[in-house]
Amino acid sequence: MKRKGSILPTAVIVVLLIAPYSGISGYLVRFLAIIFLWIGKTGCWNIVAGYTGYIDFGPVAYFGIGSYATALLMAKAHIPFLYSILVSGAITALIALPIALPTLRLRGAYFGIATLAFAEAVKQIILEFDRTVGVQFFEGPHGITLPIGPGNVYFYYVGFGIMIAVIGITYWTEGSKFGYALRAIREAEQAAELSGVNTSREKTKAYVISAFFLGIIGGVEAYWLTYITPHMVFDVLITIQMVVMALLGGIGTLLGPAIGATFLTIIYELLHRDFPYTYAIIVGFIIVIVVLLMPSGIVGTLKQKGIAQR
Amino acid sequence: MLIIEGKNLTKYFGALLAVHSVDFSVERGEILGIIGPNGAGKSTLFNMIVGVYEPDRGQVIFKGKDVSGWKPHRICRMGIAKTSQIVQPFIRMSVFENVLVGGLHGKGLSLSKASQEAEKILDRVGLGGLKEMPAGSITVPDRKRLELARGLATGAEVILLDENMAGLNPTEIEGALKLLREIQNQGKTLIVVEHIMRAVMAISDRIMVLNHGETIAEGTPAEVANDEKVIEAYLGGKACFA
Repeated sequence: MKRKGSILPTAVIVVLLIAPYSGISGYLVRFLAIIFLWIGKTGCWNIVAGYTGYIDFGPVAYFGIGSYATALLMAKAHIPFLYSILVSGAITALIALPIALPTLRLRGAYFGIATLAFAEAVKQIILEFDRTVGVQFFEGPHGITLPIGPGNVYFYYVGFGIMIAVIGITYWTEGSKFGYALRAIREAEQAAELSGVNTSREKTKAYVISAFFLGIIGGVEAYWLTYITPHMVFDVLITIQMVVMALLGGIGTLLGPAIGATFLTIIYELLHRDFPYTYAIIVGFIIVIVVLLMPSGIVGTLKQKGIAQR
Repeated sequence: MLIIEGKNLTKYFGALLAVHSVDFSVERGEILGIIGPNGAGKSTLFNMIVGVYEPDRGQVIFKGKDVSGWKPHRICRMGIAKTSQIVQPFIRMSVFENVLVGGLHGKGLSLSKASQEAEKILDRVGLGGLKEMPAGSITVPDRKRLELARGLATGAEVILLDENMAGLNPTEIEGALKLLREIQNQGKTLIVVEHIMRAVMAISDRIMVLNHGETIAEGTPAEVANDEKVIEAYLGGKACFA
């Protein structure tokens, strides 16, 4: 695969790096940081769903686990933020591993249902753990308050770094042995196995990498929000939004998640401001129209027409 | 020298005995043909050899090592590849990338090495001109050749071909036979399941006949063609060979 046209991405990265100091409003800094984190989450989902073809309906489980891990590490163990999110990522990956082994043996809707159920189960465990065991650890539905964090510019850069990391991993994957294994699994799993691909190891790897980054992003958002409850960080709507963003942008493409997440976040923000009561209906219509006109997503459709390459 | 042998291979599907105590052995560089009516257990036997099914009884010995019960990717990396009766190309990947996967994962090559190999193999099987095409957009005969190319790319020493010539016209069959001989001359061992009698009789050094999951005859093409049991069970009468 040829890697050309590095000027545009470099320019975008430089502009985004200096943007917070170019006099843009605090509102815009915050808004961009939110977009970065959505691109990160959607990109994580895309690594599994887009490249291996396993449509995961429970990614919010790892986002929530990361949130709780960071909240507990910071609020109870007083560990600094950056260490906390890295440890949270590792914890999330460790939990994802034993979940991956049985669920990735399922295919299609069964995999989707299993992952959806897992995410709900984790939420219930955190909700009921303290009352059942008789301790004060997860704090049940009351949630956990984190130390007050720095301002939006800090989260802008953290979000930016994570977004670059997720896109970078995806970029590396696309042209690697690992990436070819994942795509072969997506296209015909048995043929991949018969061609020497260790299918169960490769798809588990993809799943755990995705969970690791989701755990980190969960930790970042927990610190930014400063207060989390199970209902917030295990909200199935987070999963749905990741799925919709990836499908809109183009599943299984490098930049699809970024385009989809940016597009949908902007649409939400604009419509929410101007049509506070009816915006959800309008967003629904826009999604339906885009999906009808571009069934492979924005990037996917441009690729098919030969306009975009990735 | 023996390269692969099956001992007492048996597979049940529920109460159905699909393959019953089948023994076979193949010398390095030999072409073994396997024939038999539909449902005789040929594909099941193949799937046991490459690890898609675990045999209920019996063993597959490859280069002196018992590989029965191994996962397909391990068996592939050991050196046994199979082309499927129902072709399974990676349809949204290019023809080139399909072959690349075999080199990368079956043979464990680096990207650059595997790319070079894939180019060579595609030229050899006559798909050089279709490299950049998505595998989903090429014709069925080409897909059959692509299966073979992917198998070759894994570096396998033994290649099992499950009806790799089905659906080809006589000219294409001639081409396919020529290609298989070339592959044999490079030291590969082939086991061929085929319904096209002319093809399998022409290419095989030895033929094994399965019926209802059991071996009913084995020998040179001429011996098998004149075997009473084979004629009765499978060919229906000598007239078929006129």
